Amino acid sequence: MNASLPLAVCLPLLGALATTLAPARARALGLIAALASSGVVLWLVVGVWEQGPLRASLGGWSAPLGIALAADGAVAALLAMTAMVALAISIHAGGYFRDPERLRQFWPLWLLLWAALNALFLAADLFNIYVGLELLGLSGAALAALGGGRAALTASLRYLLVGLLGSMTYLLGVALIYAAHGQLDLALLGTRLGPGLVDATALALLSLGLALKAALFPLHFWLPPTHANAPAPVSAALSALVGKVAAWLLLMLWLGPFAAVTQPAAATLLGLLGACGVIWGSWRALRAERLKLLAAHSTVAQIGYLFLFVPLIQGLDPGPERTALLGALLLMALTHGFAKAAFFLAAGQVQQLAGHDRIDALGGTAQRLPATTFTLGLAGVALIGLPPSGSFIGKWLLLEAAIDQGQWWWILPVLAGTLLAAAYVFRVLARAFNQEPTPLHFVTQVRAELPGLVLALLAVAGLGLAAGGLWGLLEPVEIDR
Amino acid sequence: MNGPARLLVALLAAALGGLLLWVLATALAARPEPALAEAAFAALPLTGVGNPVTAVLLDYRAYDTLLELAVLLAALLGIWSLGPPAPAYQRAGSALRAMVAWVVPLLILTGGYLLWAGGQVPGGAFQGGALLGAAGVVLRLAGDPRAGLPGESLQRLLAVLGVGAFLLVGLTVLAFGRDLLDYPTDWSKWLILAIEGAATLAIGATLAAAYVGGRPPGEGR
Repeated sequence: MNASLPLAVCLPLLGALATTLAPARARALGLIAALASSGVVLWLVVGVWEQGPLRASLGGWSAPLGIALAADGAVAALLAMTAMVALAISIHAGGYFRDPERLRQFWPLWLLLWAALNALFLAADLFNIYVGLELLGLSGAALAALGGGRAALTASLRYLLVGLLGSMTYLLGVALIYAAHGQLDLALLGTRLGPGLVDATALALLSLGLALKAALFPLHFWLPPTHANAPAPVSAALSALVGKVAAWLLLMLWLGPFAAVTQPAAATLLGLLGACGVIWGSWRALRAERLKLLAAHSTVAQIGYLFLFVPLIQGLDPGPERTALLGALLLMALTHGFAKAAFFLAAGQVQQLAGHDRIDALGGTAQRLPATTFTLGLAGVALIGLPPSGSFIGKWLLLEAAIDQGQWWWILPVLAGTLLAAAYVFRVLARAFNQEPTPLHFVTQVRAELPGLVLALLAVAGLGLAAGGLWGLLEPVEIDR
Repeated sequence: MNGPARLLVALLAAALGGLLLWVLATALAARPEPALAEAAFAALPLTGVGNPVTAVLLDYRAYDTLLELAVLLAALLGIWSLGPPAPAYQRAGSALRAMVAWVVPLLILTGGYLLWAGGQVPGGAFQGGALLGAAGVVLRLAGDPRAGLPGESLQRLLAVLGVGAFLLVGLTVLAFGRDLLDYPTDWSKWLILAIEGAATLAIGATLAAAYVGGRPPGEGR
């Protein structure tokens, strides 16, 4: 029993209660809760590092009657990324929301969202994931609506409805699995699931629900307006963390408990949708007129990359080759988490100073915000996948595996996506540097600019140079729990 | 959408529904062993409650219920962040007022009964809370702008009561080295009743406040 697992869910929840009860002190209480939640995640990561995968049963009941929480190396890494990005967003939000009323509304919803993220990463029970998805969807939609204004409200209402459709579809799949096997625990299900009509239908429903929430092409239609119209810290959370957790759950189900159900053809289909997402998202990002819309379209592409791994990993037996690919998948997910959060925080900074985020008119504004422009550049490096960023290593391993396994066609979307990403990033940077340099302070607003810069540095240098540590965390670990 | 397209969508939806029903029937027909119901009944004496549904919601899968209550809180906070509510209906006429004066206390009483009865027979926090919420809806329909809810700070307290009681009990037992929400057997019945009582109030207040549909008066000053 390791108390860090339940505490990783309970502490943000406790913070949400405190900030609801005392809205006048929401910022101080919220920051304390954010620090405490990050501390617990650190404890959890150290625990996984020293003892290997952890599991905690809840309520004194073991599965199948009770619910358990589980954390392996991959989950620990994702939780650590979530905590770092969330901490940066928490600090940034204090400088971003000028209206104290908005800040009071932001804090409890944001901590509820954080609790839902941790609960979903730790979940080891099919129905518990559904409850977590509900919490994630509702708090996410409420946060997206904080932007105010007609566009934000319309987009977040659509986000709410799509999210509900996604969770209902997922729930149908859960009902089928429970009807067929009478179990919900993922580890127990892993030993019982197999090829067959019922399990395959259930997996299709679960995947459809999660793909809607992860914005996998062609179910991504709701993402760009929602992410582009939300307040910048919320966009950062939605793009870097919320979509990521749904994609992770989908991949985890496919490669873990449902591995016996999946067929190469189905895995290829998932990879194909990912490839379409990479190309379509990157193309739309290149054509976007606004900075936040560009970032939102680029999220569709980055989510797509994760699904390219499915057809390559699906046929592999546990072994170093599989671990290397899982590590690469994880590295892509982590890098995108840091980079996209940094990008959105910087874009929000530009938008607040200029009153708009039109890419064509960026010049003067970016000139006055050197740290923010630098953040955009670094995040762009990670989005393209230039060395030494984590996504460079991830893409490299992906290409290597595609050639080794004779599935060379997966190289094409990676190359096209990388080229398009370079084009859309340089389109922004060219606008930002098109004037005479004016020697101003590098950092203009510490609290709002520094968190994004740190995240971008982590994406480019931190993950790329410290990728070995990630493998240390993964080494004894397989994805199934 | 025009006629033929609508018909096509309806046909496709019906076909999909039929397919799912067929798969469900296959799953039920081929089920190798009974579901968890037997295990749930067998462990019932350890939970201190006699109603298996309550045991599932408040003991075996209490963590799910904790998160569900957090979902309710998120929904209410989301509604509050959208601005002030629409104005209330006009004050009820004397006949409706007389009926409301009867119905509301009855709803509250029945809600309390359902909460207590939930330990042994069907009932519990969600049912009791739904009746309390209904009392609030009736009051609002009869012209009470606040739907019988207290002022802002008390409303906030009511909204977090369910999750709060859960976390208080859960983290206390965790501090004593047990699992989260692993109630000591001797105390189990009373801890469950306390959590359910808090959850009933929270659910009732949340539903009523959601029906009012905007932030409580006094916020944002």
